[in-house]
Parts: sequence; structure tokens; C-alpha cells
Amino acid sequence: MKTEIVKEILDQYGEQATDSPFERSFYSRDLAPVPELLVGPLFKTLPDIVVRPANTEEVSDILKTAWKYTIPVTPRAGGSTVYFNTVPLHKGILMDLNLLKGVVAVDEAAMTVTVKPATTWIELERYLSGKGLAPKSFPSSTPVATIGGWFSMLGYGIGSLKYGSLLSQVRSIEVVTPEGKARRLTRDTQPSLEWFAAAEGTLGIVTELEVEIRHQTQLKHYLLQCSDPLEMRDKMQAVIKGAEVPFNLHFTDQECLQGMKTLGIAPGGLDHGYLLAVDYEGSDQELEQAEKIIQTITEKNQSVRLLPVETAELEWEEKFKAMRLKRGGPSLLGAEIWLPIKNLPQYLADVRKMSQSYNFKLFSYGHVVTPDYATVMTTFNADEMHTIRYIINLSLVKKLHDIGYRYGGSPYGVGLWNAPMIGRIHQPSELKRLKKIKRDLDGKGTMNPGKVYRAPFILNPLNYALAMDMLAGIRKVFGRGW
Amino acid sequence: MSQKPETLYTTLEKEALICARCGYCRTDCPIYKVIGWESASPRGKVSFSREIFAHKQRRDIPEEFVRRLAQCTLCGSCAVACSTTIDLRRLWLDLRQRLAEAGQEPQAYVNLRDTLAAHKNITNFSNDERLEWAQDLDDPESIEPRSGADVCYFVGCVSSFFPQAAEVPLATAQILHEAECDFTTMGGEEWCCGFPLLGAGYADEARKFIRHNVEKIKAMDIHTLIASCPSCYHVWKHDSREVLKGYDLKIQHTTEYLAQLIKEGKIQLNELDEVITYHDPCDLGRNSGIYEAPRAIINSIPGVKFVEMAHNKDYALCCGGGGNLQSVDPENAARIAALRVEEIQATGASIVVSACQQCEQMLTAAIRKENLPIRVLDISQLILEAL
Repeated sequence: MKTEIVKEILDQYGEQATDSPFERSFYSRDLAPVPELLVGPLFKTLPDIVVRPANTEEVSDILKTAWKYTIPVTPRAGGSTVYFNTVPLHKGILMDLNLLKGVVAVDEAAMTVTVKPATTWIELERYLSGKGLAPKSFPSSTPVATIGGWFSMLGYGIGSLKYGSLLSQVRSIEVVTPEGKARRLTRDTQPSLEWFAAAEGTLGIVTELEVEIRHQTQLKHYLLQCSDPLEMRDKMQAVIKGAEVPFNLHFTDQECLQGMKTLGIAPGGLDHGYLLAVDYEGSDQELEQAEKIIQTITEKNQSVRLLPVETAELEWEEKFKAMRLKRGGPSLLGAEIWLPIKNLPQYLADVRKMSQSYNFKLFSYGHVVTPDYATVMTTFNADEMHTIRYIINLSLVKKLHDIGYRYGGSPYGVGLWNAPMIGRIHQPSELKRLKKIKRDLDGKGTMNPGKVYRAPFILNPLNYALAMDMLAGIRKVFGRGW
Repeated sequence: MSQKPETLYTTLEKEALICARCGYCRTDCPIYKVIGWESASPRGKVSFSREIFAHKQRRDIPEEFVRRLAQCTLCGSCAVACSTTIDLRRLWLDLRQRLAEAGQEPQAYVNLRDTLAAHKNITNFSNDERLEWAQDLDDPESIEPRSGADVCYFVGCVSSFFPQAAEVPLATAQILHEAECDFTTMGGEEWCCGFPLLGAGYADEARKFIRHNVEKIKAMDIHTLIASCPSCYHVWKHDSREVLKGYDLKIQHTTEYLAQLIKEGKIQLNELDEVITYHDPCDLGRNSGIYEAPRAIINSIPGVKFVEMAHNKDYALCCGGGGNLQSVDPENAARIAALRVEEIQATGASIVVSACQQCEQMLTAAIRKENLPIRVLDISQLILEAL
């Protein structure tokens, strides 16, 4: 990026922009501690400048400048993803959107809230709670995830089983397109707001969202201890088919439970079984109905144990803190997979085999987010202090995705690191359609380049598969004690 | 997935690696709210610490990083939010200690340390003047140091020496007299509790102050100590444990002690027709777990309508006055106070009560700046008004 353009932006935005190497360095990574040894030779992740626009006009103005000079723009707010979704690959402008924050309006007649994109879900939840209202769903990273960020990802999480994905709840958005035009979009406009959901900031920057909300209701929590994955899956399906749909349906496998036990954080101090957390929300009548569903499930089968309500409530309270597993690390690697529920037992069985084969512990947990699919997270501890071993361990993430793929699953989210597996995420015709949308809206390719649609050459699917499989082989032979 | 854990701390190097960089700590961090750059967020600071101390990728500690480390109120909201349960407050103290060991601490900290070494309090006044505030009592001599009293009131530097905070010890002493408590003070033998030194990274120096105070309390044969300053209370309750080992000393914040006096009927409160909100001081609430005693006092006053702020108890916003922030960055400290005042105003309260002279000073300044019709009172002043 030319010095005079950097200076032009600095002059215009004053304290809202910086080219300080110290400040910029904080934007060159996301949650994933990928070693510089791996990233440095491939990408330029240090942005030339970081700008913090305060309104739609400023977003538009910055994008116009980027468009004019063909400068890459990487949008970022919560910065809480792991696939480099919000990390620049080719320097350029990093747009920190965190000044675009706050509730614009609540329409209680229409039951919608209009928010700025960098409002975090916890901020929205607190705001609505004061009015007896609540979001219909929220991510498992609610304390940091933003409304705009979750919309730009796939938007499935807690509440999705009952109320659908975030996309299904968004009535309209304001978006600034790559050339800097601000537009208000609905499902009926051209382009449709649907194009921007899960686009990971590659088509423009969302500056406002109108989202459906619900009335705040009571919650009731249940925690079931099942003896094996098959039984857990069957109970999961029985719950889903019940007359009352749970607000949240979450599972924890036995290995994860044992890992938590080691860290002193297992629910009720348990160390065996497969846990199914079932959380209902609704009226007294609906909660009574829910109680009957749980009674029926647990009464019919003696091997399913209903854990004390206090344990279930604590499980709910701690729902955002899955990362505590990292204390066993210090690092944590893993794969998040969009998986058919029906195949969950087979997936977990193969994960167990992999665990034995590579001699390491794998922890799985996840949320059921549609009647047929769950987002399953399988993680393992690693140590980033041993760089070579750590890089070799990264290959096991691909092995986990291979298991998921075997059972009809695909990576959840793309960014950079899952781009080599884009063929598993989208059918060829769908991918072709997405690429056309990208070309139509961002002909110059300035918006968040290098993400989502195709992997960079060095990470093309063939290279990626060969390299990862080779490293996994090395890990299997030499790394059994790691 | 879980059993609620306490916050944990091993070493700076290990915790910096354990940090998930998830950013949960950002949402309620007061300094991130007013500065906004990622480098000012708790996760940003931990990430940079990881590069320096765990990965040892750089030998120097850049000046910009030193500035960011000093820009923290030690409010502990990051530790409440932390997804990996790191005791981040301890981590910040550890980091400031590393700065001091490297001789890179801010000059303001050095000045503070020198002042404390010379005067045993945070001002330039002689420590013998600690009871100057008591001249406004009916019987100033009644609080002169005395061995064997039932209770010793540890007044704290700010309340002892700053005229605008003197109302706190005055009200406290008057209430204790009213309840006919047998109490005393340490007078000129009360040294700074050590909290400002801990917050500046001088743990060894702080220990000398802690040891002195503990020895004097033992010599005075005191077995119940009360403190009105939450930071003094925190040091007595948490950081003096080792030195106090084997000595029977009950340590209470004045809100706990006064709530008990009210419960026992030793203080009778009259009606006050006011809408009141309460600001939780970080060192009393989030960092010491005392939430109910001050609320019980307020709710025991007939006629009072108590209203909580949007952020309260564990999630209360900081006033900006902690962590020695004012000494290095008064502008941002004031901006943080202004954010809290917005919440106070939203409650519609005519009085905001707190239990910390520093919080009250910060909130008073911010309320005055906005010219709002809201009174700031210490909880002891509120009780005195209702007597």
C-alpha cells in the first residue's frame, strides 16, 4: 500500500486510524496461534493501516478509497474466529468495526431490534432483558461474538434448534458494497440480504441489521447421563421429535467429560457416560409439556439417568466456557464439523479409534442446531511452545475433518484454513453460484481476499491433502508420546 | 459443560499461553471501552505478554506496551469473563512487577513508591497527621490509639488526608459512637495498607507495609479490624493472610460491620424519601465478594426506593479510579467514570451510594462535569443522614 494513501487515511481519520507497527501487530492473528514459521512465508498478515470507522458514511468512504486504489480490506469486530477469517492475507486496510456498536431501535409491535453490527450478543441480551425481551438465538461465544460477525458466519448456535439460523431471523440489513455504496437489503431486493450471510465479509460490510426477537420467558434445564453414544443419539432424536422443541440441546462425550474431570470442572464430578443437556424455554404450559417429555424418556429407559437440577442449571450457566479445556493444553486444536445427527455415534466411534491410533485424547461436544444436524467440536490439547510438533499436530485437524466427511459432515466455517476443503462444504453448482456473486459484487477482489471461495495455490486441495496426510503419518510413527 | 470453577493462576508464562484470546474479557473492560484499540484489550495485553515472556520472541518491553499495562484499573471484570478462568487481576499485578524489575515502570509509580517510603502514606503530609480529620468530632481524643479495644478502625490514606474524603471517617466514627462501640484507630502508626505499591508492581515494598501494620495490630491486642476503604480491606483480607497466620483477627469491611449493627438494633434508622442506586466498588464487590451488606443497609432505611444499575455486582462497571490509573492517565480515568455516570443517570436515582472514597471522588467529579442533580454519598454518610 502506497505511503501517500496511508497518510491520506491517517490525515482524514486522526485518532481513528493508526499505522503504528505495535498497534497493527494485534490484528495479524485471530484465536488460532498459527506459528509464524508456517504463516510468514505464505501470507502478509500485518495490515498497512488499521482504521476504525464510526458510521456507515465512514465505512463507505474507506471502501471507496480501497476500491479506487485496489487495496485489500479485511473487516474485523469480535475477532473471535479461528480460520483467519478476519486476518489479512495481503496487508492492506484492516477495518476495525467496533465503533459501530449499539441498539438503534426496538419495535415491540413487529418484535424486531435494529442493531449496529459490532454490538456483542451479550450486550444485546442485556439490553433486551431490561425490556422483558430476548434474542431468539445466540452463539456459544456470546460474550464476544458480534451480531454482524455471527451473521457473516453461519449463525447457528444456542436457540437455533427452536428458532432457526440467524439468517432466518434477519429481516433487513444495511450493507456497504466493495465499491462503497450503502444499500438497504431484504430478501426481496437484488442483491438479497441472503447473499451476505455466511459470506465472511467477502462481499461488503454490514453496517446495520434488523433482527427478530422474542419475549423473555422462563427456562427449565435438564441434564441426562447416557451410557453410550447410540443411546445418547436416540435420546437426542426423541427429544427433537417431542411436542415441545428444546431451546438448546447440547452433548458432551465421555472423553470430554473425563478431560473436564481431570481439570476439576466436570458436571457433578462425573467421569463416565455421555451427557445430554436439554434446555427448554416458554410458558408454564410449554414447560410442563417439556417436563413430560423428559419424564417419558427417562422413565422408559433405566440406563438414562436424570442428573440433579442444580447440576443442569450450572451446566447452563457455564454454557459459554467450553474453552476451559484449554487449561489442559496450554494450546487447543480441533475441528468444528457440521454433522448429521444420525451419524453421530459412528463419528464418535471413529474419533475414539483415531485417539487410540495416535495415542492422544480427543474431546467432543456440540450443539444440535437443526432437527437433523449438529455442530460438533472435537478438540485436543497441544503445545505451541514446541513449534515443529505443533505444526505436525495441525495435520490431525484434517484427519478429524476426514472422519466428519466420511459420515456426511463438512467443516463449519471456511476462512482461510478450511478453504482447501471448500469442495466438501459446497456442491460444485453452489460453489459456482457463490463465485459468480463474488465476481458480480467485488470485481476487483478487494473485500477480504483469499478467503472462502478457493484456497490459495499453496493450499490447493491436492497440496493440502498430501502435506497433511504426510505430517499425520509422521505424527503416527514418531509422535505417539507427544 | 460444567462445574463452576474459581479463577486460577500458575505463572505468567503458563497463563499467557493458556489464554484463548477469545476476547470475552473485552466486552466489560473499562479501559478497552474508552480506548478501543485491540492493544488496550485484556486479550491484546496477554497476547503481547505471551510473545515477550513465554515465546521470548523479543528481548525488550516496548514503551507502548508499558503504557498499555499501566492503562488498567485492576477492576477484575476480565477475570469474571475469562473463558479459561485465568485470575487476570493477578496476571496484571505480575506484569507490573516484571516492569518494575526491569526498571521500566512509569515514572508516576516511582514517585508513588518514593513518597510512600518517605511518609508511609500516599501524600506528602507527615504520617503523624493521620487523625487530623477527627478534629471535627465532638471528642477527637476518643479515637486515639488504645490497646485492647473491641474494634480497630483502619482509616486508609485517602480518608485520612484528603479533605473531600474526610466525611467518610467522620460519619463512620459518629455511627460507631452512636452504637456505643468500643473502637479505636492506629493513629500515626497506621501506614499505607500497601495496595498502591502492589498495584505498581512493588510487591516486596508492599510486604514491609503489611508487616508493619500487622505487628502494630498485634501489639495493640486488636482482634476485630474494620476498614472503610475497599482496597485496604482487600489487602487485609487477602494479602496479609501469611503475616497474620496464627493470630486471631476478624477482618470486616465497614459495610459488613454496620449492617450487623443495624440488624442487632444498635442503630435505628429514620425514613428517607429518596430513590437510591448503589455503585459496587471493584475491590469490595467483584474482588472481595461483598455485595449484600451495602444493599442490606440501603434497604433497611424506611422510605428508600432502591434501584439497581444495568451493570451491577459481578458485572458492575468500574469508576475508573483503581489500579493507579489516575496517576498515569487521568483523562481515560475520567472517561470511564463518565460511562458509569450514564448508568447512574439511567436509574433516575437522586442519590448514588458507594462504599469507597475513591469511587465517590471519581463519580462526584463526573457528575459535577455533567451538572447532574445527583448526590454522591458514602454508605456511612447515608446512614448518618438517616439517624
